[in-house]
Amino acid sequence: MSEPLDLRPPGRPPRGFKGPFIAWGNLLVLAWLAVAVLLFAVHRELGLPVWLPLHAFLLGSLTNAIVVWSMHFVVALCRVPSPSPRRMGFGLGALNVSVLLVLLGVGTGVHWVAGTGAAGITVLATVHAIHLLRLRRHALTGGYGYLVGYYAAAAVALAIGGTLGGALTAGGMGLYARLLPAHAHLNLFGWLGLSVLGTLFTLWPTALRTRMPADSMRLARRVLPLLLAGLAAMTAGFVLASAWTVLAGLVAYAIAAGVSLAPFELAMLRQRPRRPAPWMLAAASFWFVAAVLIEAGLLLGAGKPDAPAMVVGDLLPVLVVGFGAQILTGALTQLLPVVLGRGPAEHKRVAAVLGRAWQVRVIGGNVAAVLVAVDLPTPLPSLGWVLAAICFGAFVLLAMSVTVPVVVRGALPASNHGGATTIGIAVGLAATVGAVLLGAGGAPGSPEPSSAAPVRTVQVELAEMRIDPPVVRVPPGTRLMLRVVNNGAAPHDLRLANGARTDRLGSGDSELLDAGVIDGTVDGWCTITGHRAAGMTMTIRPAGDGRAGPEGIDPAARPGPGWRPRDAALPPADAGTLHRVELRVSETELELAPGHRQRRWTFGGTTPGPTLRGEVGDRFEITLVNDGSLGHGVDFHAGALAPEEPMRTIAPGERLVYRFTARRAGAWLYHCSATPMSQHIANGMYGAVIIDPPRLPPVDREYLLVGAQLYAGEPGSDPQVAKIDAGAPDGWQFNGTAGQYVHAPLAARAGERVRFWVVNAGPGGTLSFHVVGGQFDTVYREGAWALRPGADGGAQTLGLAPAQGGFAELTFPEPGRYPFVDHDMRHAEGGARGFVDVVP
Amino acid sequence: MIDVWTLVRFVHIVGAALWVGGQLTISLAVLPPVRTLLGPDRRVSVLRSVGRRFAVITMAVFLPSQLATGLLLAWHNGVTWQSLTEAGYGRLLLAKLALFALVMVAASVHGIAQGRGRAWLARAAATAALTGSLGVLLLATGLTAG
Ligand SMILES: [Cu+2]
Repeated sequence: MSEPLDLRPPGRPPRGFKGPFIAWGNLLVLAWLAVAVLLFAVHRELGLPVWLPLHAFLLGSLTNAIVVWSMHFVVALCRVPSPSPRRMGFGLGALNVSVLLVLLGVGTGVHWVAGTGAAGITVLATVHAIHLLRLRRHALTGGYGYLVGYYAAAAVALAIGGTLGGALTAGGMGLYARLLPAHAHLNLFGWLGLSVLGTLFTLWPTALRTRMPADSMRLARRVLPLLLAGLAAMTAGFVLASAWTVLAGLVAYAIAAGVSLAPFELAMLRQRPRRPAPWMLAAASFWFVAAVLIEAGLLLGAGKPDAPAMVVGDLLPVLVVGFGAQILTGALTQLLPVVLGRGPAEHKRVAAVLGRAWQVRVIGGNVAAVLVAVDLPTPLPSLGWVLAAICFGAFVLLAMSVTVPVVVRGALPASNHGGATTIGIAVGLAATVGAVLLGAGGAPGSPEPSSAAPVRTVQVELAEMRIDPPVVRVPPGTRLMLRVVNNGAAPHDLRLANGARTDRLGSGDSELLDAGVIDGTVDGWCTITGHRAAGMTMTIRPAGDGRAGPEGIDPAARPGPGWRPRDAALPPADAGTLHRVELRVSETELELAPGHRQRRWTFGGTTPGPTLRGEVGDRFEITLVNDGSLGHGVDFHAGALAPEEPMRTIAPGERLVYRFTARRAGAWLYHCSATPMSQHIANGMYGAVIIDPPRLPPVDREYLLVGAQLYAGEPGSDPQVAKIDAGAPDGWQFNGTAGQYVHAPLAARAGERVRFWVVNAGPGGTLSFHVVGGQFDTVYREGAWALRPGADGGAQTLGLAPAQGGFAELTFPEPGRYPFVDHDMRHAEGGARGFVDVVP
Repeated sequence: MIDVWTLVRFVHIVGAALWVGGQLTISLAVLPPVRTLLGPDRRVSVLRSVGRRFAVITMAVFLPSQLATGLLLAWHNGVTWQSLTEAGYGRLLLAKLALFALVMVAASVHGIAQGRGRAWLARAAATAALTGSLGVLLLATGLTAG
């Protein structure tokens, strides 16, 4: 059953290449590995994302290795005709151009370049899969046919995973947190994992120098469906955010991988080989299964829906150092001698070069894997990366020293100096790079702290694809310190255009960042690939052009994605005289100023809460349900009753029914009745009840604007409470968002009669409602007509103290854009303004 | 403006150029023909004598001249021990000195390995020294630009 391995290079050496094609392919693999090691060493100093070295390794080095070697194995073992070197050369060239585009696109932040590269990889992977499946028909010896199945499935995984990767570089279409783990798993467990597992069935026995077990090919064939099912479940689980589906997929995959690797690991333990390749393959296989199990354990432990995204970051170092780098060096250590050397003597020479100090490298590599895998205190993981770079970088140099001569001259160097020159150059270069970094480092860095500059510290929160606040304003000349907190599940960082940057912050981590002295606009963003495109950006602006509170509230900023204005149009009361309403108290994240989202306390999930409207004599029956985490209550000014019972504070989970009859007309406030009321109102717990005065004439349009002060900051936090107590709001707002009708103007036609209902929810401060360019001919406030049409006079404002309400009417004389404001201009500039767009 | 400091700078730069140029000449122009044209025994003795001569010239001429002119230039530029740690000129000079020290170590390793007949190590050390010397020149260029 078993067959001797024939690893002759497929095809004649093509014209133009001196060395065999496969030597060229491996030179590419080694070159990418060298680039990856170099980038790992210097990416931090150069301010490049860690994504680059990672993908130089995974996408550059490993992908080239898989393509080159899978083709080689299929041709050699399945006895199919080799594709022409020209065609393979073209494919490999296109692949590497695509990889370069991806790296360049992400490195420079040009999404379409990265997207083009990702599309190229997807197309090539698809072509590769189709080509493999077509080869299967020619495969004469059935024994190794299973290989084609593994390689084709791997290529399909790459095609899908690559597509997702392309989408991620552009921000992930709002699904970043779901697509990222799907992308990572398809590529690591699909493209890399399936290729490796398929190859190991034949590579192991060769490395161990034993005969292939008779039933291992049957085992390989049987295990593949389970591996694929596991992979499919993982992917689906991530996309659907179902941790249990992911877990099921991981377990299935781990079982399949364990079953297929176990016989070889056992054989390895029995034999204790003295050569490097089996040890490297064994260690890599161990880390592979360990990674799957670690992830399953983390998922089980976390049990949160957002856990998958978090897990990817924990897993990657293990897979890169323990599995990826080791499986590559192990496979090349085993395979390169046969490819590069002609005849047993040369094989031995190459093997001797590749085996230099292998014990040290294997031990170093695995110690490095432990250091980067386990969550250790700060210097140790970095030490692990350095150790990994040294161990695997040394392999690159050794392998280069034998591969380069074969590729360039078509033969190994005559003397036994193999490697000395390469290693010498590398050591010299490394020392030079180190010296340049040492010499150049810190020169342009952050601006020198000037003792004269006043210092201000602002908290910046990083969460899922958002930086809050998106705009930080400080007076020019201020030295700004940013306390950067990662409140998201995934790691984030913050980099400013002036070069200041934080470390990569894990979930819950924080760092104080010196943003320097602010004299001009400074942009900031998260450098993790795709996060900037997905919306993780911020701006630091010198204050002065507009008004801004210390929280960075900027009413002129653009609203965040997905923001919907609150419809100010007030519908007429419904016909019945009994109004039943359920008010559910909830704590919800809302946009309280453009681009500034924050947790708010709400009636019914909105601020203001639902508007109630009826006529004098109508009965209202409100069921208050407390779905929040604090005690809340409600107080309807529109009814009169003994407050003790209906206005009591109810605990979370409780409900109460509040009944009142509207005896008097007016624009009434309702608000939370729990103490301290100032905080509950300031955080959004208010709404309006409109009781129409009898015989209220109909008008063309009616709008309701509930005005309020804006207090940013965590509800109930000390800084926020201090601002509320001092009556120093961060801004002002109509209908719950500062400046919202600047971005979504109200509509009217010239000559139409428009009625503006206005309520001042407070909790403090007056409201002086005015329409620029308009005059009111009707004013009704606090239960009385102050002005009616036909009188000689007009009104310019509708003035309201806290908790007062009323309406004013006007007709717009001609088309145009009419601003409406709280004519306390500080309030208007702080967000209490909007526009009415009047059309003919 | 040409003054006495121009002369000192000239000596410093010419010294560096000659030293690195000497290494390049030996490894690129002298060694390959020696290897291909001479038999094994003569090859070793020629290489050893070339190496020894270059080492002697380095110790006797280049090292003293470079150190002397370098110290003079540093004094002229107002470099103090403390300024060596500051970003900019000081830090760049420190990096250049460190790299130069490493090059010297590599050159010594080369000499010792050559003497003991450890060809592989000698060759690796020689290439490392040569590459590092080019790095020293790179940093020196950075210093004069500033
Ligand atoms: Cu409340």
